[in-house]
Amino acid sequence: MKGRGLWERVETAWAMLGMGERQDVPEPAPDTPEHAREDEATPAEPEGFHEEALPYLDAVYAFGLRLTSGDRHEAEDLVQDTFLKAHRAWDSYERGTRVKSWLFTICRNTYLQRKKLARNSRERAASDLDARIDALSAASAFEKGPPDPEGHFFDQLIDDEVVRAIDELPEEYREALVLSDLGDLRYAEISEVLGVPVGTVKSRLFRGRRILQERLRDFATERGYIEGGES
Amino acid sequence: MIRAMGMIPCEDALARLWEFLDGELSLEERDQVRRHLEVCRRCYPHYDFQRAYRRYVRRLAERERAPEECRRRLFQALLEEGRRQEGA
Repeated sequence: MKGRGLWERVETAWAMLGMGERQDVPEPAPDTPEHAREDEATPAEPEGFHEEALPYLDAVYAFGLRLTSGDRHEAEDLVQDTFLKAHRAWDSYERGTRVKSWLFTICRNTYLQRKKLARNSRERAASDLDARIDALSAASAFEKGPPDPEGHFFDQLIDDEVVRAIDELPEEYREALVLSDLGDLRYAEISEVLGVPVGTVKSRLFRGRRILQERLRDFATERGYIEGGES
Repeated sequence: MIRAMGMIPCEDALARLWEFLDGELSLEERDQVRRHLEVCRRCYPHYDFQRAYRRYVRRLAERERAPEECRRRLFQALLEEGRRQEGA
């Protein structure tokens, strides 16, 4: 923890956060002895935290953004809380596991705590949706065929529409979908983050993706990108 | 509909498509799905569409970047946290 000089650690944190030119933290005078620089204001850095955790800032932000259905302020707060908690608990982080999934776990738990405290969640009746989705057999969905065999369909969509469609997914599907499709986590990692069996992860992913694709198909039909009958 | 010798049926290929794209199948299962997709005109478009979806959503995530102010706040918070821990 004391192995590196203050400014080396500050520089590392700054660089890992992808910041530009630093202005708000004054450099020590060049002739200040290293030990004096250390004593002056030495932030403790858990070994390797800056290098290993901070590169995932954007990924955690993107995850937080989708968890909160696009609330940027809340996502920023989640980022702060997640990294501060991770910083404090870095000693308990199990080396060899993926930092990214650990950070996602902290982020999600923080989000759930906040939600519980606020008691103003927009919980959706996922069970109703489950029933509706279950009624659609996999076979009948496949019979419809994809809206665009060439995949050009996605080129015509507007990002905001896709983001909105993701944000409107029921939370349990959205979490799994975001962790897989945006966060690039393996099923086993998602299972750990969400605390559910891998089979449940697969099922939520499958359903979430199907709902999302149906929504996107609707968008595309409404805007005339594809013909309604095509689906 | 593919029912060739040694080839998995369309239902099986389609049921495993997401796991195939997510890289979650065993080598043997991957090979079964891949061989099916190579020759099945019915299933390949599904694969193509789902692959395009995945690429699109992944690109979407890569474009999302935490705002500068968020980075700055976190940087300051980590410095203060470090100082607090050091002083404790």
